[in-house]
Amino acid sequence: MARRTDDVLATLGRFSEPALYILISLADGPKHGYAITQDIEAVAGQKLGPGTLYGAIARLEARKWIEPLPVEERRRPYRLTTAGHRVLRHRLQSLQALARVGRARLAEG
Amino acid sequence: MRCDANLLALFPPRWRERYGEEFLATVEDGRLGVRDTIDIMFAASDAWISADVRRATISPAGTDAGGRMSINSLLACRREAAAVTPRDALIGAGVMLAGSLLFKTLAYASRDTLPAATHVLTDLAFLGPFTLSMPFWLMKGQPWKAQAAIVGGTLAILTLIG
Repeated sequence: MARRTDDVLATLGRFSEPALYILISLADGPKHGYAITQDIEAVAGQKLGPGTLYGAIARLEARKWIEPLPVEERRRPYRLTTAGHRVLRHRLQSLQALARVGRARLAEG
Repeated sequence: MRCDANLLALFPPRWRERYGEEFLATVEDGRLGVRDTIDIMFAASDAWISADVRRATISPAGTDAGGRMSINSLLACRREAAAVTPRDALIGAGVMLAGSLLFKTLAYASRDTLPAATHVLTDLAFLGPFTLSMPFWLMKGQPWKAQAAIVGGTLAILTLIG
């Protein structure tokens, strides 16, 4: 299947999935690194290694989809930017459409 | 802490300045297993070569007054990046070219006797010499232990997955 050109998260390569988890984690408010990994593990059952976490954070920050806040006791929280909100909403809509097709085909089969 | 700081030394100086303190705090919050250690080594290699990561490490967050990080705990593994001269770049390019030729030649020579080795050598023909050339330019001036860990670790992982 051809990759959708409007899936900007896919430009992150192997970091696209961790990046999606991070965007979802930050959707309900700012969090620092460890809180993000804990939240992702609770919500998605995926444990992000610290290297993968910061590889994805750096990429999201470089694209201005998340932004750092001032450090609090050695921990720096991050929050979604407006662009990050837009990217996340778009990606979730794509996944929803894909899931709809998948469910429909399962029902047919 | 010492183990975490040693792992941190694998990353480029700018990355350590920007993310080092919060990265250590994150690592200290959880338990660091073998899988996490390998993950960090991959991330360190990525941090040296990724344009995205370089862009992120020159963002204002690392230098603004409100967000300035305390880097006292990082001083032990902090090293200034050495300037890469045209000569270094040429040596790095030479290592890459010679290495690629060597890998390809070895792959060709082993095609009848050791087909498995041929496959690995062909897969490594670019990434192997690239990794070997890193000490001459990308990692110039870094502690030799960090260089050895990144080069050796990356080559070992590439060979294993090759």
